[in-house]
Amino acid sequence: MTKHEFMEILRSREALFGLPEEDIERSLSFYGELIDDRVDEGMSEEEAVADVGAPGEIAAQILSEIPLKKLVKEKIKSSRRLRAWEIVLLALGSPIWLTLLIAALVILISMYAVLWSLVAVVWSVGAALVGSFLLSIAALVLLCVQGSVGMGLFLLGLGIVCMGLALFLWFGSMAATKGAWWLSKKVPFWIKSLFIGKEKKV
Amino acid sequence: MDIQMKRGLLDVCVLASIREEESYGYQIIKEMKPYVEISESTLYPILRRLEAAELLTVRTAEYNGRLRKYYHITESGVQRIEDFKEEWREILSIYQFVIKDREEKKANDET
Repeated sequence: MTKHEFMEILRSREALFGLPEEDIERSLSFYGELIDDRVDEGMSEEEAVADVGAPGEIAAQILSEIPLKKLVKEKIKSSRRLRAWEIVLLALGSPIWLTLLIAALVILISMYAVLWSLVAVVWSVGAALVGSFLLSIAALVLLCVQGSVGMGLFLLGLGIVCMGLALFLWFGSMAATKGAWWLSKKVPFWIKSLFIGKEKKV
Repeated sequence: MDIQMKRGLLDVCVLASIREEESYGYQIIKEMKPYVEISESTLYPILRRLEAAELLTVRTAEYNGRLRKYYHITESGVQRIEDFKEEWREILSIYQFVIKDREEKKANDET
C-alpha cells in the first residue's frame, strides 16, 4: 500500500478506538517520518510501508499502552454528544428506567442492611455471653452473702463457660466483620467493572 | 523472555543509543539492530514513555524539506543507564555463581 493509504488506515483505526486528536497526530507523524527515512535510504514506498508494520496492529499496540483512565475519559467525552431525539427518548422513558434504577438501589441498600445486621447479631451474642459472665459474678457475691456458696460457685462456673464461648465467638465476630467489610468494598468495584471492563477488551 | 523485563531492557537500550548524541527514530532502530530487533510499534510507546518520565526530550527540526523528531537524553536518563549497569553487575555476579555450581557438580560426578 502507499504511504497515504497507510496513514489513512492508521488514522481511522485510532479514531475508532477513541484516541484523542493530538495523540493521533503525534503517532501519525512518527510513523510517517519512519516511512520517509526508509525511502530516503533507497527503499520503495511500498517496501517502506510494509517494513513499518500493519496499521491495524500498530493502532492496537498504541491503544494498549494508553492508561485506562485516559481511554474512559475519551469514551465518556465522545458519548456525551447526545442527539436531540436521544434526549427526548431518555426523558420520555424516565418513569421506567428511573423507577428501575431506584428499585435496584433500594435492593442494594437492603442487602447491605441484611449483611451488617448479621454481623451485629454475632457481636450481640458475644456481648450477651460476656454479660452472663458478669452477672454470674454478681450472683456469686449475692448467694455467698445469703449462704448458698455452692449455688453461687455453680452459677460462676456457668458464667465462666459463657465467657469461654464469648472468647471463641470473638474470632467469629472479627471474621464476620472483616468479611462484610470486604464484600461491601467489592460491590462498587464490580459495578464499575461492568462499564469500564468493556473498554479495555479491545 | 518475560514481557515486562524486555520492556524495561528496551527502555534502557533506547536511552543508551541516544546517550552520546541525540538521534532520530529510524537511526535508533538501525543502531540497535545488531544487538536486538526492535520494531516501530515497539519503539514508539517506549519513546512516549521515556518522554513522559522525563528521561529524554524531543525537538523537531527540518531535514530534507520535511520535519524530523530528534530525541535527546536528560540527566535522569543518564542516571537510569547508570542504575541499570549497577543492577546488572549484581545480576552477572549471581549468574557466575549459578554457572559455577553446575560445573563443579559435573566435575564431582565424573570423579
